[in-house]
Amino acid sequence: MTSDTATPVLRMRGIRKTFPGTVALASVDLDVHRGEVHCLLGENGAGKSTLMKILAGSYIPNGGTIEIDGEKVHFARPLDGIDAGIAVIYQELDLFPDLTVAQNLFLGHAPSSGGVIHRRARNRLAQSYLDRVGATFSPDARVGELPIADQQLTAIARALTTDAKIIVMDEPTATLGEADVENVHRVIRRLVDENRAVIYISHRLDEVRDVGTRITVLRDGTNAARYDVKDTDSERWIADMIGDKKKELTEHRERREITGAPVLDIDHVRIAGMLDVEGITVRAGEIVGLAGLGGAGRTTLLSSVFGARSADKRIRVEGEPVRIRSVRDAISHRFGLVPESRKSQGLMLGLSVARNAGLAAIRGAGAFMPRERQQRRTTPILKDLAVKYASASQEIRLLSGGNQQKVVLAKWLARDTRILLLDEPTRGLDIGAKADLYRQVRRLADQGAAVLVASSELNELMANADRIIVLHEGRSVGEFDPFTDTEEQISHAIISGKAA
Amino acid sequence: MNETTTSTEPTTDTTGTRATASWRQRGSSWLIKGNLLIVFVAICVIASLLSPDFLTTRNLANLLQQSSLTGIIAVGMTLVILTSGIDLAVGSVAALSGMIVAILLDIALPIPIAILAALAVGAGVGLLMGAVSAWMRLPAFIVTLAGLTAVRGWAYTLTDGRPAGSDLPEAFTIIGGGYLGILPLTGLIFIGVTIITALILRYTTFGEYIYAVGSNEEAARLSGVPVNWIKASVFGFSGLTAAIAGVLLTSRLTIGQPTAFQGAELDAIAAVVLGGTNLFGGRGGVGGTFIAVLLLSVLKNLFNLLGIGSFVQMIATGLILVLALILNKILDSRAMAAAG
Repeated sequence: MTSDTATPVLRMRGIRKTFPGTVALASVDLDVHRGEVHCLLGENGAGKSTLMKILAGSYIPNGGTIEIDGEKVHFARPLDGIDAGIAVIYQELDLFPDLTVAQNLFLGHAPSSGGVIHRRARNRLAQSYLDRVGATFSPDARVGELPIADQQLTAIARALTTDAKIIVMDEPTATLGEADVENVHRVIRRLVDENRAVIYISHRLDEVRDVGTRITVLRDGTNAARYDVKDTDSERWIADMIGDKKKELTEHRERREITGAPVLDIDHVRIAGMLDVEGITVRAGEIVGLAGLGGAGRTTLLSSVFGARSADKRIRVEGEPVRIRSVRDAISHRFGLVPESRKSQGLMLGLSVARNAGLAAIRGAGAFMPRERQQRRTTPILKDLAVKYASASQEIRLLSGGNQQKVVLAKWLARDTRILLLDEPTRGLDIGAKADLYRQVRRLADQGAAVLVASSELNELMANADRIIVLHEGRSVGEFDPFTDTEEQISHAIISGKAA
Repeated sequence: MNETTTSTEPTTDTTGTRATASWRQRGSSWLIKGNLLIVFVAICVIASLLSPDFLTTRNLANLLQQSSLTGIIAVGMTLVILTSGIDLAVGSVAALSGMIVAILLDIALPIPIAILAALAVGAGVGLLMGAVSAWMRLPAFIVTLAGLTAVRGWAYTLTDGRPAGSDLPEAFTIIGGGYLGILPLTGLIFIGVTIITALILRYTTFGEYIYAVGSNEEAARLSGVPVNWIKASVFGFSGLTAAIAGVLLTSRLTIGQPTAFQGAELDAIAAVVLGGTNLFGGRGGVGGTFIAVLLLSVLKNLFNLLGIGSFVQMIATGLILVLALILNKILDSRAMAAAG
């Protein structure tokens, strides 16, 4: 069906993309042919999403060339990608929930004359595209009222209306049940039969095996491997995704004896269809890492434990069962959460350092003089954490990311928190700030805190956690010891959901 | 902003830059805060130059008197807007409370009880709207818009649309019309309400939570702030201040008017925004609102002294409001650039 000798419909060469402080893509090549489902594999942060955003025209690369059907193209804005015949279906569907299916399909290119839209013609056309993706719902249906699988089909149908020759699907099945997955795969096969190319990103390797033709593996912003699906097995894919991990980070570590009593026992946390985690224990002085792919349930687990999200759960603190129905319940049991998004969930950007750091501590400490109390209370803590700031009244948005994150941490220390839940605490920080943050977390653990830290960066957990628990598709699939288990073993579990 | 790479040194090693930074910060925030005051003083100077009547004690006392009722409402509104809410029902609530106090005095209830009852109704109506908006997750704009209509209707039904309070006791009417020396009592009450509210914002946990909720509701929730209670309470507070204004007007007019305070919500919102409180919450305070209310009154006064008709006055007031906000925005972004 395809061969490397034919001109590929998409040819990316030496694509490079840097962001301040990081290199997202060092140099990546990608060849995709018509009539194939080309799967992009890689760990968190390997560069898959960045590459696809460049292809869509949302990011402008710092180097490299893109050819479509042998012709060089330059994308400066998202519309350029669409004009060149590329359609991207993002994981978070970018549909308009309040509009109908037909309106969504033809937004911006509806059949019209003189600015007046021909509604009937549009519905008729919409119907024909819906038929092609095997959809059974009406073009008049409101997208927001459709089940998620039907929304997925709407997004695919929309990609067809622009007559895209290259269709990118980013985790299209992540939120679908098995029957719906099969339907999406059927549609994908039909698309390649029509001689289009599909670029498929999925963490589910059995799906890649099922629907994929060819694979490009990315690792750390470079090409790691490229082969046909039928010639290789998934063990090989995983090995190439993981690569040879450097070990120096862990080798210098000394194991510390955790002698403290269990502080946090998560007997179970369940959310139907999303999360089913059992038996996580964190002892005083211990840092337990939560590893997993994006969407594996790390954030959901932490926010459920913290009472920010409702779930069926049984949790014990120092052996005693506790009921946590709200954030305030959790806080009164001495929990603290450093949330995933520092800016939108962690900080009040317009307020001062002292007011941010002192917000949690003023509850229950009397009705008056909160700012004075905040400052008295937080100044030694901020100093202890070596936060760099000009004055307590300085606005927090003027601080560096690392210092901002330490202030979020300080907020809980000022409240005498015993159980720290950290969700991607080092996101967006540079290496020095990361190391500093973990140094502080380690110190807090040594002072008796129980720490549960979720991170996408396994090497961070290897270097800082006492134990690592791997989540996969909402379940805990294994517990690892960073001193005796290798990064390869843990990566394998993260990707495959099975302990090797 | 560069990321700190080595944070092991103590924070005191940068005394020099620290002093400069905070000086610059203080300078810029003074510029933003002082901006309104400068405009205010400038307009007062212009007014006194244009009209010799402006700086007479009588005129100034009148000014304070005229500002006070809108001002009291605007102070409550400031708290609502600080949480990024809006209260459109304040005019109706003020009219309702003004009616209630008149009716209760008509049936010869003691003055303090009549006043307290009217204030309680105002606060209660506000709290109810706030609670509905917070717990039901409805936009405050719509809930209080409904309140604007319904509460006004309630005020009308009390007397079938007729004024109330045929013979209000003099001890009551003195509050709205009386003077302490040269100062009108309502003006003193306006100043008192402003100061008390400023103290609440500055020195209570409730005040601190208001800023937290307005600055980032999600972060506040995740820090254990009782977000819904705070949101409901500021509407209760706004209802209370509206009720105070309503009672004062009844006292001054010696009659309860169900048609009073039409459009007062817009005057109050204009003053709050002109006073530098961010419509998206988290920034601002009642000091700015206080000056803005006076500024708007002075403008009106100036126009009257100059004999400019009220239609042209409306146009000019609108334009000045927009110009002031544009100026504020420019200074604000300059200050941010200087500080960042």
